[in-house]
Amino acid sequence: MSKGHHVRFAERAGARVVAGAIVAFSSASLLVNQAAAQAKPPIKIGFIAPTSGGFAPSGEECILGAKMYFEEIGYEVAGRKIELIVEDEQARPDVGLTKAQKLVERDNVQVLMGVVSSAVALAINEYARDKKVPLILSCDAGANELTIPGPLANPTLVRTSQNGRTPSAAAADFMMKKGWKNIAVLAADYAGGFDTIGGFGAALCKLGGKITQEQYPPITNNDYGPYVTNLDQKADAVAMFLPGGGGLRFIKQFVEMGLKTKLPVMDIYGQAVYEPFLPQLGDSSIGIYSTLHYSSAIKTPANEKFAKAYFERTKHQPSDNAPDGWVGAKAFADAAKAIDGNVEDTARFIDAMKAVKFDSPKGPIALDKYGQVIQSMYVRQVEKVGSDYVNTPVATYPNVDQFWPLSFEEFESYKYRYVDLKGSLTNCGKVLEKK
Amino acid sequence: MIWIIHTLNGVSLGMLLFLLAAGLSLIYGLMKILNLTHGSYYLVGAYIGSTVIEKTGSFALALIVAPLAVALLGVAMERFFLRRFHLDELPQTLLTFGFLFIIADLCLWIWGGDAILLPKPALFSTSIAIGGNFYPTYRLLLIVVGFAVAGVLWWFQEHTRIGAMLRAGVDDAETARALGIDVSLLFTVVFAVGAFLAALGGVLGGPIIGASPGADFDVMLLAFVVVIVGGLGSLRGALVGGLLVGLLDNFGKIFFPEFALFTIFVPMAIILSFRPTGLFGRA
Repeated sequence: MSKGHHVRFAERAGARVVAGAIVAFSSASLLVNQAAAQAKPPIKIGFIAPTSGGFAPSGEECILGAKMYFEEIGYEVAGRKIELIVEDEQARPDVGLTKAQKLVERDNVQVLMGVVSSAVALAINEYARDKKVPLILSCDAGANELTIPGPLANPTLVRTSQNGRTPSAAAADFMMKKGWKNIAVLAADYAGGFDTIGGFGAALCKLGGKITQEQYPPITNNDYGPYVTNLDQKADAVAMFLPGGGGLRFIKQFVEMGLKTKLPVMDIYGQAVYEPFLPQLGDSSIGIYSTLHYSSAIKTPANEKFAKAYFERTKHQPSDNAPDGWVGAKAFADAAKAIDGNVEDTARFIDAMKAVKFDSPKGPIALDKYGQVIQSMYVRQVEKVGSDYVNTPVATYPNVDQFWPLSFEEFESYKYRYVDLKGSLTNCGKVLEKK
Repeated sequence: MIWIIHTLNGVSLGMLLFLLAAGLSLIYGLMKILNLTHGSYYLVGAYIGSTVIEKTGSFALALIVAPLAVALLGVAMERFFLRRFHLDELPQTLLTFGFLFIIADLCLWIWGGDAILLPKPALFSTSIAIGGNFYPTYRLLLIVVGFAVAGVLWWFQEHTRIGAMLRAGVDDAETARALGIDVSLLFTVVFAVGAFLAALGGVLGGPIIGASPGADFDVMLLAFVVVIVGGLGSLRGALVGGLLVGLLDNFGKIFFPEFALFTIFVPMAIILSFRPTGLFGRA
């Protein structure tokens, strides 16, 4: 008994010594850490996104997503403070480039992040490459070529958001599985439209389907009446990519002209069923399919937590922009942490970026060797839940890389680039022609 | 049968264009002001209309409130700013260009950057069958309203005293002034009517074209094409020009989809080369 007591006492005394040592040691290391934090200069991030003009909502959402992550880690990584400097690109390449130069040369930022407009991304890309400044495309800018080996490839660029062709490939796959083989397509008449719908046509041809009609409304088109009236009603379904309100106007006319009961709709990239548009579309939106790398209705703890926090701040459901911003910020912080905050070592930092792997509101995130994100693609369908309209995921394609379902080699073996296939998509022979 | 629908599409768009172009045409015809803010009247009209519908649920109320509010905006612009530069074309144009940007940013600030489509009035949110195809009754309503507005404007111009003064002012402002016509009052009235009509177009076009940042510029461009085709200063020109551009735009998109943007501008260039003052304009 007494021995036991002694032993216990000794144990306790020992424990006390150990505890004391731990306290002393950890406070010492805390001091060291603090000293280090004070000694290490902050990491400055230049965040380029539109905060005025028509693209402002996408920009604001993406910025908010990034801020939400940085707040989670207290704006500090590997003992260095994070300073976020936001500049407005206005979705104009000349403005974006000027802002990038200002951020790099005057503010001395170590990293450029963000970018909504692909045109701005292309303008900044060359500058960042020359200056060897890491460029993390974390917002909408989805031009395919930026992460494909070729003239635009940039060893210091990574993209954590998306690219143009993956939602197209998922859409084609899903439609073929539904048995919709003959598809009428509409895409806005600009580079992004050709890229997206070309990727769709190529994937559809490869799977044995066929495009029966192509229509390309101008990007500033107002009245979609003629396009709806002209639509090939013998097709099995419609696939479309009409950004910036075009999809919204198209669907309204489409429903009014009585076509919704005749033709299922696939909204590639979810431009018409973009969350803020759903209440405007109302019951017209129910049943519309779309493909995207996100839905606010994804049932995972990571997304439910994010969507709740986002809703509390904005009173809106998040679209893809805010999760994209969040993922870009986390990828940056994880990479910085892995190299002990030494982001000035560009080569090591980019390697660390390409090695990140984590779970996110969008689903599991990883990057390929070209710096492009590998993530899930969701096929969503609009559903009415209570009084709200929601893009409910009905199919998930996990771990989709930028060339999916092709390999890089097969992707490169085709003769025509997507943008050159405008007007020829009904001809699968040409679409699939090899070099 | 599909051609009937294409034609109805074109005519209904043409009626919207007429509403937008009528004011632009009158303002230039009378005051020689190239009003670059005209598209903003459309946009503000559509936005105010959307707010009125959201608060009250009444489309009819939106059709009254939004045009009146925008007419006030037009009057304020004319009275307090443009008047200072009477017949001084460059400062006037630059001033309206400035207003275009200010109003666009204010709209972005107040209504946000997402595209908005106005809900339709319940009475006209149905479709009717035309030869096996459904056609929205709202577009038919647009056609009726367009012709009705054209009728009222024609009556106003031909049979009222202000209308007669207006015609005199367009033909020869100096002589009209010498004859004792209050041209100053006329200017204000024309600005109010022009802004009113553009905002009416904004509310009526709201369920089809909607409102979004940049729509002001797109709409203004179309209105200019209509005015150039129809002839500056002519209401009849605005009506015929509107219908012509609406139909050309529609059939152009069907027959020459690769040249969707050119199908409006090529006929405009052809008409200008034969009739530099437009179809109904006077030299």
